[in-house]
Parts: sequence; C-alpha cells; structure tokens
Amino acid sequence: MDARAIALLLPDGLSASGAADRLAALLPVVTQRAHAIDRTFWDTFDGRLQRAGLALAEAAGRLVLMDAVTHAEQASAQHPRRARRLLLADLPAGPLRDRLAAVVEMRALTPIARLRSRHLPINVLDDVGKIVVRLHAEEPTALPGGERQHPLRPRLHVVGVRGYDGDLERVLAVLTGDVGLQDAPRPVLDDALAALGRPVGGTSSKLRIELDPAARADAAAVTILRRLADVIETNLPGTLADVDSEFLHDLRVAVRRSRALQRELRGVFSPEPLRVFRDGFRGLQVLTGPTRDLDVQLLEFGELAAGMGKSTAGDVAPLRQLLEQRLVAERRAMVAGLRSQRTHALLDNWADYLAGLVAAPEGDRPDAARPIADLAAERIGTVYRRMVKMGRAIDDDSPHEALHDLRKKGKELRYLLEFFSSLYPAEVVKPMVTTLKGLQDVLGRFQDREVQADLLRALGDDIAAMEGGAAALMAMGVLVERLGEQQQQARAQFAESFAQFAAKPQRKIVTRTFG
Amino acid sequence: MTKIVALYNIKGGVGKTSAAVNLAWSAAQQGSRVLLWDLDPQGAASFLLRIKPRVRGGASKLVRGKSDPAALLKGSDHELLDVLPADFSYRNLDLTLDATKRPTQGLRRVIAPLAGSYDYVFLDCPPAISLVSESIFAAADVLLVPLIPSPLSLRTLEQVRRFVAAEVPKPRPRIVAFFSMADGRKTLHREVMAELSGRDAGALLDAVIPAASDVEKMALRRQALAGFAPRGRAALAYAALWQELAPRL
Repeated sequence: MDARAIALLLPDGLSASGAADRLAALLPVVTQRAHAIDRTFWDTFDGRLQRAGLALAEAAGRLVLMDAVTHAEQASAQHPRRARRLLLADLPAGPLRDRLAAVVEMRALTPIARLRSRHLPINVLDDVGKIVVRLHAEEPTALPGGERQHPLRPRLHVVGVRGYDGDLERVLAVLTGDVGLQDAPRPVLDDALAALGRPVGGTSSKLRIELDPAARADAAAVTILRRLADVIETNLPGTLADVDSEFLHDLRVAVRRSRALQRELRGVFSPEPLRVFRDGFRGLQVLTGPTRDLDVQLLEFGELAAGMGKSTAGDVAPLRQLLEQRLVAERRAMVAGLRSQRTHALLDNWADYLAGLVAAPEGDRPDAARPIADLAAERIGTVYRRMVKMGRAIDDDSPHEALHDLRKKGKELRYLLEFFSSLYPAEVVKPMVTTLKGLQDVLGRFQDREVQADLLRALGDDIAAMEGGAAALMAMGVLVERLGEQQQQARAQFAESFAQFAAKPQRKIVTRTFG
Repeated sequence: MTKIVALYNIKGGVGKTSAAVNLAWSAAQQGSRVLLWDLDPQGAASFLLRIKPRVRGGASKLVRGKSDPAALLKGSDHELLDVLPADFSYRNLDLTLDATKRPTQGLRRVIAPLAGSYDYVFLDCPPAISLVSESIFAAADVLLVPLIPSPLSLRTLEQVRRFVAAEVPKPRPRIVAFFSMADGRKTLHREVMAELSGRDAGALLDAVIPAASDVEKMALRRQALAGFAPRGRAALAYAALWQELAPRL
C-alpha cells in the first residue's frame, strides 16, 4: 500500500505479451493470466478531477479514485447502483467522499468515457521468489458506444512494493534503459477522450482571450461575445437537464458578461439592434434569476441551518421542503422559457449579428474601428473613477440601494478587466482585480443576505400553513435574524475594503495605465 | 476503525503463526487493508511471507519511538497486506519494554501511527506470559487463541482468561478461541471438541482448523495457503474462520 507507481508507454508495435517476453529475458519475472477490465471514467463537466491530476473510474460496481497517470489508488467506495449522475451526497460517507469533496464541491459527476483494457500482470521476483515490483501491461481501447472501438497506445504500469525501493529503481533502470520505454506523458483517459473527440480536461466556462491591442474594437468585441455565446450554448443542455447548479450559474455569468460588454462598448454596435438584443439578454437574466436565487439558498441552507444550534435546526425542515418545492416550480417555468422559440431566436439572431458586425456599415457605430486598447482603457478608467465617486458618497446612513448600485458597477469593472486583461500589464491588472474582488465580496455578501432574507420572508404565509409550520416560522425568524447580522457585518467591512480599492496609489496606477 | 487481533497462546506450536498469516491473507483477499506484525523473534510469519526477519534499529529503537515504523514496513505478495517483520532483537523485547515509561503501552505506541492506514492489524505473538504479553493485551481488541483440542490446552485458555481478568486494566481485550490442528482420527480431539461444542458460546468459534499437511507445506512453499492450495481443507477452514470472526470484530 502507498506504493510508488509509474506509467510507461510501450513502443509502437509492442504488444503486452511481447513486452512480457522481452522482460522475461532481462528480469526474473512471472507472468500471470491476462484479463479484461471495463472501466467507466467519471468527472465533472468542467473536468475538476482531470485538472487535479485525478481520475475516478467505475469497475465491477466500485468507484476508485486514482492518480490520473499512474492509476495508483487513493480511495474507493461502492458505486450507487444505476446512478448516471453523482453528487457528493449520493456517495456513501467515507474516504472517497471526503477526498472528492474538496475537488468537485457542488458539481455533479457524470460518465465521460468508457475504456476496455486487456491487462497482463507481470511480477518481478527477488532471489527467494518474493514479488518486489508489480508490472502490468495494459492494452486500452476507448469505447464510444456501439461497435466501433478506438485502440489506444499500450502502457506498462510499474508499481513498487513497500520496503523494496531499491528493486523498483533497478527495474526502472532496465525498463527505461535496456528496453527504452518512456514515461507516459499524459493519462490514458486523455488519450481516450482525444480519440473519442471529447474535450480533454473538461469544458471550461473561463474566457481566456488574447486580444491584439491594435485590433478594431468591434472585432475584439465579437471575439469576446462569441466566446460568451459559446459558454451559454455549452451550459444550456446541463441547465435544462438540471445536472447540477453550476450550469445555470455559468450560463447566467455569461449572459451578464455579454450584457456588460453590450453596455460598455455600445459605440461598436448599431443602436437599434443593440436595443433589441439588450432587451433579449435582460429577459434571459430575469427568466433565470429566481431559480438561481433558490439554488443559492439551498446550497447555503445546510451551512446556515448548522449555525443555528441543534434545537432549532430540526425545525427548518419544512422550510427546506418549501424551498425545494419552489425550486421545482421556478425551474419548470425557466426550462419552458429557455426551450422557447423566443430564446432560440434570440441566441441564433445574436450569433448571426456578431458574424456580420465587423463588415457592417460604421455610420452609427462611432467606436467600431477604434483600437480596442484605447477604447477599453477609456472604459476601465471611467468605470473605476465612477466607482470611486459612488463609494465615497456612501456613509452609514446611505440606503442599501447605494451599495447595490456600487456592486453592479463593480461587476462591470471586473468583467472589463477580465475581457481586456491581455492588453495591459499583469502587474497592474492582478492587484486591481484583487482589491476589487475584496470589495465585491463584501458588497456581494451584503446584497446576497438581503435577497436571502427577503426570499425567506416571502415564504412566511406558506410556511405557517404547513404541518410543523409554527416551529418552522420561529426557526425562520432565527435564520432571517442571522442573515441580518451577517449583512450588518458585511456593511461594517465596507469602509475598509473600499479604502483599499480607492487608495491613492491604486488611483495613480489606474490613471497611468488607463488614462 | 482499525481492529487489532492478537494471535496468542501461552503454549507454543499451536498454530498461531499459520493462523496469523492465513487470516491476514483472507482479510486482504476480501479487500481490507491489513498489517501483520511478526512479534516472534523466530520470525516464522516473516519467513512464510518471504520477508527477511530484520528491522533496522531493532526492537529498542522501535519501542522507544526512535524509528519510524512506517519506514520499516514491507509489502507482501498481496497488495493489501503489509508486514512489520520480526527481528532477532525481539528476544529481548521484555527488557527493552521494561526500560521504557509505561512498558505495557509500548506496542500500542508503535501501532498507533500506523493504525489509520489499515482496517485490521494482526499480531503474531511469541508464546509465554511476560511483559511482552501484557503489552499485547493492552494493544489488542481481541486475543484470538488457537487451541489444540486437549485438556491441557483448555487449561492454558483458563490461565489466559484468569490472567487477563486479574492483571490487565480496562479496556481489556475480548478473548476468542478456536480449535487448531484438530485431528479427527484422534479420539481425544473428538471428545474434547464434542464436550466443548455449544458451551462457551461466543468465546469459542465454530470453525475448526484441521491438522493438515497443507499447513506444514506452507514452510516449503513460503506462501499463505490461498497461494498454493486455495481449495484445500485447511485453506477453506481458515477462510471459514475469518468469515466467522470478522463480523465479531
């Protein structure tokens, strides 16, 4: 156990049995009977396990978490039967769930590839016939479903035996020296995904856009907005199927980012089509808002209820039940809206509009041909200064709306910095994002707690009418009070976070970089 | 939670080592992570698993906390079974323990940092009642006592029970016994087993390990029975013994 493991690639044309024969001439080995293993690999949509260097494979009713390259086992558990989507809560309590929790968080695991491998175990023995190194040659095949198969490059897995490190080194020297094997550069799962034409490392909703500072502003806007449209499109099926809460989250972020760019770079678009698309995107935001609010409420419910103490925690069960019922109803309405002809038309028309934007007449698009670096700097500088002004006007007596408006502006600045980060020095953008993030966290907490408390208050009458409603209503009062306390704490932290964001050195940097 | 099972008897030659090796193997075979600590300076369990009976730094460094026990472990031929090998210095383990603070806690201290990595720890104990035995009693959850079906063996079981009840502070290990090296052709064996059958419920397991040549062959093959005679009478008896014991742990 806890043995060191290494994966090596077999050269082209060398089969598992060929490798075993070659090894037998060089090392004292015993070859065992070959056997086939069918494995289904699972990951989150955004490939969190792959990015963490891990692989989760299901074989013979067990889920095994292992190192992605060497397949050294880290934890395992029984696979919940027939499940095609796994959230953490679906897994039995134990080491596997604990190990996965920090990596996958709220995301669902779904099958991403199926492999059938022929394994040939080969044991290296010492002078008394004891196994001192375990080898197994693997001939993997990716199974896309149906009859077609994709044979992948064979590998030799080398697994040390505890307490026999010297033997492992000796065997590795033979394998990499005499036999000429090389380290497998990437996991077999990557090979399988590539062969199957599926995304390696999952599907990211991150922007990762490189822009040319001299590019036309409308062309740069199209590049960014196309990527955002892509994120909306890739997250739509998971949102409709309710695979996990993050599909909707990522879809909404992409919609909000699109709206921010439509607003901030309005001079690159013709006014009338822009008005129509802005209405359409606002409609998408409104359509998906209630479901997301309830998702957040339920995601944070456990933590909030856990802080209430044991005596009250049980009383909130009806509240949770009601939130879940509301979520079902809101989701149904949202799904209908997202499946509607109107939504399809909006997204299709938007894609068509972006495709023709750069070639469109520029008469009513005054910023279209400006270099993007100039226009973006102007917008970043303007929004930053506007935020500084808005924040300075906020004192203890300011209404909540003042903080909410500042948060909205802050999101706009954050998005601008993300869109255009490739145009400016990282040493300027990164610290700016850090202080902005600090401020946004405080403002976000302030607003989220208010939204959550409002949502709970709105459920009061329904809760009272439920069985156990009186106790739940009282527990809800405690929850609302806690949310209020947390909101006040956030407000108390505002001044400090804003001071950092609007500090003189920061203002100077902004002026120097963005004008 | 890790369960520690000590194969123990005051008498030698009753099948402790064979039981320790085969039960540890059976547990690993079922998917449990298992550690076998060969505490007998003769190193028979280590020998049977083809592992050199040698511990760097010897017993002294080990029980005084000067060696990292994890660094002394050896993997066996079963991927889920590790071994803390025997060492000839264990012959002086009594004296070594006696030189430490709280000597009866000495073995528990060695096992503690390893325990979380294993589901079961088996201790293959040397025969005798000594300070080593007391340290074993303090570390183990269960004393598993192999008994040759003879009146004298039964007497030694009573001695163990009395000693544990009188001398071992709580929490005391549970004492569970089983018949070992039973020879159905011997009238005495049959009579003793018949007499005890049904008595001592809970403390005497039903599974009986036969006196079989396969068990003796383990020393020639240097393997657990499952490795070379998995369908033999003795291998099946050990598997049955584990099936009966595991739920009680």
